[in-house]
Parts: sequence; C-alpha cells; structure tokens
Amino acid sequence: MGLLALGTALDWPEAKKRADQVRKWGIEQLLANWRRAKGKERDALLWGDEVEYLVVAVDDKAKKARLSLAQAEILKSLAEDEANWKSGGSNIQIKEHDGEDPPHFHPEFGRFMLEATPGRPWGIDFKDLLKVESNMKWRREIAKTHMAPNEYPITLTTFPRLGTKDDYIQPYYPPSGAALRSQFVPDEIANPHIRFPTLAANIRSRRGRKVELNVPVFKDTNTSQPFHDPTVNYDLHNWPEDDDVRNGAAKEGHVYMDAMAFGMGSCCLQITFQSKNMTEGRKLYDQLSPLGPILLALTAATPIYKGFLVDTDVRWNQIGKAVDDRTREELGEAPLENDRWRIPKSRYASNSTYLSQDPRMRKEYLDPGLIVDEDIKKRLIEGGMDELLATHFAHLFIRDPLVIFSEDLEELDLNKADHFENLQSTNWQHMRFKPPPPEKDDIGWRVEFRSMEIQMTDFENAAFSIFIVLITRAILSFDLNFYIPIQRTTENMETAHARNAVLDQRFYFRKDPFSPRTRRPHLQSSSTSEVSSATSSAVNTPPPSPPLNPVESEYELMTISDIVNGSADGSFPGLIPLVESYLNSVNVDVETRCFLASYLDLIRKRATGTLWTGARWIREFVASHPAYKHDSVVSEEICYDLVKAVEEMSVKEGKDGSVGWELLRGKK
Amino acid sequence: MKLILSTSNLMTSGGHSVIRQPTGEKSNVELINSLRSNFLAAQQLLAVETTTTTTPRWTRETEDGLYIPAIDFAEHGLAEERAQYDITVKLFYLPGIPVSRRCAHTREAIDLVLKELHVDSIDLLIVSFPGILFDAEDDSEEEVASDTGSEEPDDFDSMIRTWRVLEDLQEKGMIAQLGVAEFGSERLARFLPHTKVKPSVDQINLKDCCVVPKSLILYAKQEQIQLLTHNDCMDILPIGTTRELLGPGEKGVGILASTPDAENGIQGDVEPQWVVKYTAVVKDRGVVENKGYFALADMGSCVKPHP
Repeated sequence: MGLLALGTALDWPEAKKRADQVRKWGIEQLLANWRRAKGKERDALLWGDEVEYLVVAVDDKAKKARLSLAQAEILKSLAEDEANWKSGGSNIQIKEHDGEDPPHFHPEFGRFMLEATPGRPWGIDFKDLLKVESNMKWRREIAKTHMAPNEYPITLTTFPRLGTKDDYIQPYYPPSGAALRSQFVPDEIANPHIRFPTLAANIRSRRGRKVELNVPVFKDTNTSQPFHDPTVNYDLHNWPEDDDVRNGAAKEGHVYMDAMAFGMGSCCLQITFQSKNMTEGRKLYDQLSPLGPILLALTAATPIYKGFLVDTDVRWNQIGKAVDDRTREELGEAPLENDRWRIPKSRYASNSTYLSQDPRMRKEYLDPGLIVDEDIKKRLIEGGMDELLATHFAHLFIRDPLVIFSEDLEELDLNKADHFENLQSTNWQHMRFKPPPPEKDDIGWRVEFRSMEIQMTDFENAAFSIFIVLITRAILSFDLNFYIPIQRTTENMETAHARNAVLDQRFYFRKDPFSPRTRRPHLQSSSTSEVSSATSSAVNTPPPSPPLNPVESEYELMTISDIVNGSADGSFPGLIPLVESYLNSVNVDVETRCFLASYLDLIRKRATGTLWTGARWIREFVASHPAYKHDSVVSEEICYDLVKAVEEMSVKEGKDGSVGWELLRGKK
Repeated sequence: MKLILSTSNLMTSGGHSVIRQPTGEKSNVELINSLRSNFLAAQQLLAVETTTTTTPRWTRETEDGLYIPAIDFAEHGLAEERAQYDITVKLFYLPGIPVSRRCAHTREAIDLVLKELHVDSIDLLIVSFPGILFDAEDDSEEEVASDTGSEEPDDFDSMIRTWRVLEDLQEKGMIAQLGVAEFGSERLARFLPHTKVKPSVDQINLKDCCVVPKSLILYAKQEQIQLLTHNDCMDILPIGTTRELLGPGEKGVGILASTPDAENGIQGDVEPQWVVKYTAVVKDRGVVENKGYFALADMGSCVKPHP
C-alpha cells in the first residue's frame, strides 16, 4: 500500500464536497503524466512480489494464538536495521544473500500485518528466479528477528479467530470504537496512521451503515440448523450503526462480520511487472485478466472466518464487501435520487475493462453495462488519450476519493500523481494498470496481478510468483490470446469462491489461445526468380481475414486441470505446457531448470488434486482435530494448534512426512 | 539438387510447435509439425492469392537450391537493434554425412540464419554431433550407431576437425561463443586440451534435470562451462521423415516422388544433411521473438563435390 503524507484528513461530509476537485485534479495529473510517459520505450522486465504476513503471538501456556498489534514497533526496528545497513554498519548482509539488497517492509491496513518486498526488483535473468524463494525466506527470518520470541510471521490469509468474543489480540482492546463502530473488532485493530481509520470511517459514512460481510457457514453434521451466527450481539446501543443487525444485516446460514478489518486484514500474494512500453503493458493487463480467477482457485487458502468453517475457499469477496462504500441507491436497493448511477461492483472486485488496442480484442468482449463518468472520459479524449484507455480511467473515476488531506487541495501540482493515485489506489481490482510515477524516470508502465491468496510456505509463494512471471513471458513470446468476454471473468471470479472450486468447478476459458499466423510465408511467381518490387508489393496485400465466429464459440467451460495441464484430447495446450515450451526455447541452466521444474510440478499437481490447496488442508486439519465437534466451530485450541502447524510447515515444508506434506509433496 | 526446408517463425505460427503432452518426451515433433504447418500455410495462401496469369508456386528455385516454402529474405529481421538480442543457434550434424562436408554445411547453415534474422553475427553456436547420447545415470555418453548402420560413430578426431572450423568462424567475429551438446565430463576432459577456443556451453538433454551427475557439475564449474538444458530430439530428421514430409503421400506435399525412381515427383534419393535451429531472445525481457529451423537435404546424388 503506497503511503503516506500526513495532514488533516477530512471526514466524509467534507471530503464529499471536495470529491469533484480531487477527481478533476487527478485526471489532469493523469493526462500530464500520460503525455510525458506514453512514449517510454524499451524498459526491461523488472518485477516484484509482495508477501503479506500476520503477526501472531503464541501463548504456549494458555494454548492460545493471538494477533499481535506490534506492527509499529516491528517496523520501527526493521527500519533502524535498514538504515544501519545502508550506512554500512550492520551485519544484516549474510553470505547467502550476497549482492541482494535487504528486503523492504511496509505497513498494511491491519495493525497485525506486515508486508515485505524484495530490496530490488527481480529481472528475467534466470539466475534471478532462483533467488526469489530464498529471498522470501530471508524476509521471514528478518521479520522474525524483530519480533518477540513468541511472535511469528504467519502467512495465513486470515486469522481464524479474528473478531471472536475472546482476547484474540494482544494487547487487548474492547470492540465498538468510533471509527469502525464494529461490534467485533476495536478501532485499534487498524494501523493508527490517520489514513486508515479515515478510510474505514469514510467508507462507512459514505455507505450510510457499516460494511456487511455474510459468508455462508460450512454446514457440518453438528452445525445448528438453521444457523444464526451466535456471536452477533443484537442488544448493543453504542452507535447508530448498532441498529444494522436489528435491521437484518446478519443473514441466516451465514457468518456475519461488520468491519473493514475482516477484509483488508487478509494477506495476499501480488505480483507487479514492468512492461517494455505502454502497449505491452496494456496487452499484459488484458491477457492476465482471465487468469485471475483461475489463480484464485488454485491458491485457495481461506476456509475460516471469525471462528467458523465457512463454505467458501477464498478471501476475495469478503474484501470486496469489507470496503464496499456503495450507497443504497448505488446498490440498487433504493431509487436513484442523489447518486449518479447504480454500480454493479465494489471498489474491490474483478476488473471490468480491457485496455489493449489489439486487433484480436473484439468489442463483444467489453462489458456493455460498464459505468463510466462521461465528462471525465470526454476530458481525457480531448487531452489526446485514446478511447479504450480513457474509458478505463473514466470507469475507475466513478468512485469518490475516500481520504483527502486538506493541505493537498491548495495547489494542483502536475508533476505529482497524488490526486490520481487517490482514486487509482482505492480501486482494488484484480488487475491494476500503473502509469510510471512522474517523479521517477527509471520506472516504466506496470501491471499488477492481484488475485492470488498468500500461501503458507515460501516454496509455494515463490512457485506461484514465478509461474506468473513465466506465463507473461509465454504470452509475449507466443503472442497468446486468452480473451473472453469480461463478464465471463467476473462470473469465474464468483465460481472460484466455491468450496473446492479448484477440482469441482469449471471455468470459462478460451479454447484456442493461439493467434492465426501473423507472418505470411513469402510467395514468388514461378515465372521469375528475382524479386521485383512490383510483385513483392502485390503479394504483400494481406489476405482477406476469415469471417469471425460468434464470440460464444470461442470459449467453453473447462476444469482447472485442463486449463493448467492441457485437455486430454490436446485441443487446449495448457498453461504449464506453454510455459515449458517457452523454457525449451530459451537458454536455461541445469540448476535453474531443476528449481523451475519443482515449482511447475506443484502447480500441475494442485490443478489435478494430487496436491491439496491450503484451504483443503486447513479444513482437513480442523476436521481431524480431536477438539473439533463437527459443529463448524474453530475453537481457540484448534486455532492455536493450526497456527503452530502452519509455523512448522513454513520451516519444514512437508519434508519427510512432516506437517503439510499433503499440499507440498503428495507423499509422506 | 538441394532442398532448403524452413519453418518460418514458430512463435507466431499458431502454436503447432507447442508440445501438448507435458510428459517431458523429447521429440522432433516441434520441427516436423512446424515444417508441415509452414508448408500448409504457404499452400493455402497461394490458393487464396492466385490472381496472376502465371501460376505462382509456393516453393522457389534459386541457385542455392529449392526453397520449400519460398522465402523472401528481404522481409525478415528483428524488431529492435541487434544489441537487444541473444541469438542462439544450434546446428545438428546428421548421422551418416561425411565429416568433410561440415565446413561447408556450417557456413551454409549460419549464412541462412544471418540472412533470415538480418544480423551479421550470432551470440552462441551449439553443435550437436550425431551419435552421442547423454546418460544422466552414469555420466558416460553412449555412442550409438546411426540409423543407416553403415557409418562409424562420430569419432573424436572428426569432432576436433569440426571444432577447428568453428574456431575459425569465431575468430572472424561471426560467432561470439561456442558450445557442445551431450558431452559428459570425461568427453569434455578429453576434448578441451585440443581446443583453442573452449566451449562456453555444454547443453544436455535431461528427462529429469535434477539428476545431473555431480562429476559433470563440478567439472563444468571448474572449466567455467555453463550447463544448459534442451529438449531436442537426437535423431532430429530421419531420412524416412523427409520423404514423408515432401512426398506424395497423405502427410506429404507432393514435391518428391514416393520412391527414388517413381514418377510422381522429383526423382532420386533424398539425404538430409543438417538441421539448424535459431532463437532470438530479447535479453532483458526474456521474450522469444523469433525461433525457427532450416533443414537441408540433398537430392539425387549423395556424393557432392566440396572443396
């Protein structure tokens, strides 16, 4: 998360009045920056991964695991180390990581979270790919050394008992604060930087009530029927929002949650790529978009919320709900009177636009119901931007800026991107297209792939990161075409939520990822053996393009195994065989290829079910725990053992039959 | 007569070269499929474009030989400056072809690649001698008799003689680095003392690349030879396959006769001489922009006068 100028943050009624100004200035900044950077060329592939951690404190005596709110102290201590290292006075540099810059650590929304990125972005030198996993492990080690002895960086997407009645955080704070007004979590759960409580409070104010997350409970044999979330308090009267549950916010059969922390407190694995130029960036944005739901299902790791097993496997929609600032009018629950339009998706959702001016991009792929701010689009087009890109940004800019610092509204600085980023960085779609930052000449156009769930081990996190990098190289090398109508991707995103979606569900995917031959073989007339300019120009006329088939015939429902490994009849080649064909076309040394083979093998087997997803492993762990009563409840004791097991797994990685072999190795 | 077979750029040819079964089978599927699909594409385009009164042909005869399909070298080339690319060329000397022809074959093959890519040098030339198989299990390459059974396996002296040719080309600046394929540590140790220019690369075909013999890893490291992996077939273009591709049968394109003296096509024996594979990779982006093969076969007489 990009941070963080300090200042006076406006509360919602004030912020709302200034929203138009921020949008206008943001668009002017975008235009200025776009004009400056649209011709940027030949930037190298640089990429980075972001790994997020929960900081969990383990209490062996009480057999409890609690979230530690020590983010600030840990980051401070990490920052001191980094400063030391830069001045040459630290021993942080160890031999194994010779030549690597020490990793960066960043704050996140949850005060129990850390984010770590490599000290320097990765390149495509295959030797770089070998460093990713060890660098991730190094980050974990460094983070650990800055924590209390009983605290661990844990890469679970969510803390299983966040928001329960017990003391699941340390230090303990009671719930029901002024910013979140949650009956389950205190305001102190969020990073205290003014940006975060303001963000949460303004989402709530704009929405007119608390955010509302209802996740279907997993119905086990002893789960009460009907199921009414027993942790919901209907008699609270601290805030007006306490009425929400009395007005039916908590749904039968669901686990109910009411605060941004339940979503934005999730850990993700995000990958950002720098592209050669804007054109390539737009192409990658489009081609990676249909892969988002597939990778979400493959990385599924989120079967527990607020102490209950739930019937979904991934975090995605919960985050969407946790930051959903739409009003009743925008949601379509009330007639449109004050608001400008109905908006079908949360700010955090699957993406809704394609960007590439690619001849293969048919207009049928675009969302006919896309909501766009027409004035903004007009301004962008007047400013010289093409229709597709203008539409994209005019779509992102239908939202209101949520956190506005009054100091920033004094003067428009076209050499900055702060107002643009205000909107851009609070549009949390599963793809993000990032213009070069105006103040840094050496950074190019980038694309961020955001759907993946964090995995419990760094081996898995490295495997998925590198897989995505290799897929981008295969996309560019083979000129692959994964286009499907973007609404199908939206549907796939929903499908990916189902329990065990990776094996049980089928996803819309394009049948033929190859483009027709782009270079024609060269013909000569038999009457002459020398090339005359007349004949060569004559044969250079492109052949008439064949009539296009209906869009519906271009894609079908496929299993993830077919998408990843190829279909049995060979009609779809499979993402892994494509990556392998790519690797067979480049010079890869033996050691690297061996590493890459183990990563690709993990993904191949996740897709077939030979190896379990994290979600399935966690479910099995709970189900087979002696204290589990088959009533969907994940007790403190189970949570404690689960955290211990995950910690052990992050070290032993399922070797020699150790914990987690089912999702890492497939055999004891 | 020489037949010059080409695939055009595999990366943009519709995926016919992608091996779909992820079993790690090494195979010449890539070469054969992409030749076939390139022939087909050329014929289909011809059918679409028969507008002139003279009958255009999808092949083209020049003083070099018969290009199948026709190539207009004026049209090719790389999108960016030469310095942006790593160009790797792998030359497969085929079994049963006299070593004396290799000098000419090497020049011929490299010239075609340079013409195709519009460059005047390549970064790495890997040569694959016929009859060497790398066996990861015991690090001793086996020498296998060639298909025809009539030739001796590629003997050591002939490799050294061939290497001299490559060293010359390297000296002329046409090739930056040289490499070998399927050499085990023993063969490398025997080979190196005879070289002026050491191979910088040893490319090995491994079904499971995690079982490279330690002795080879250590020796390569000591000699600063990079061990690279590949997925190429040993017997990349068998004689029978060439006739199948070019003959009148169901899978062929009807250029050659079905047997050397049949009358349904060009008559004579067909003898594949060499195959060359080239790849141009954009260095700092890891994008394969161009990859293809040329294969050359002789028709009629096997004995060709060569200087």
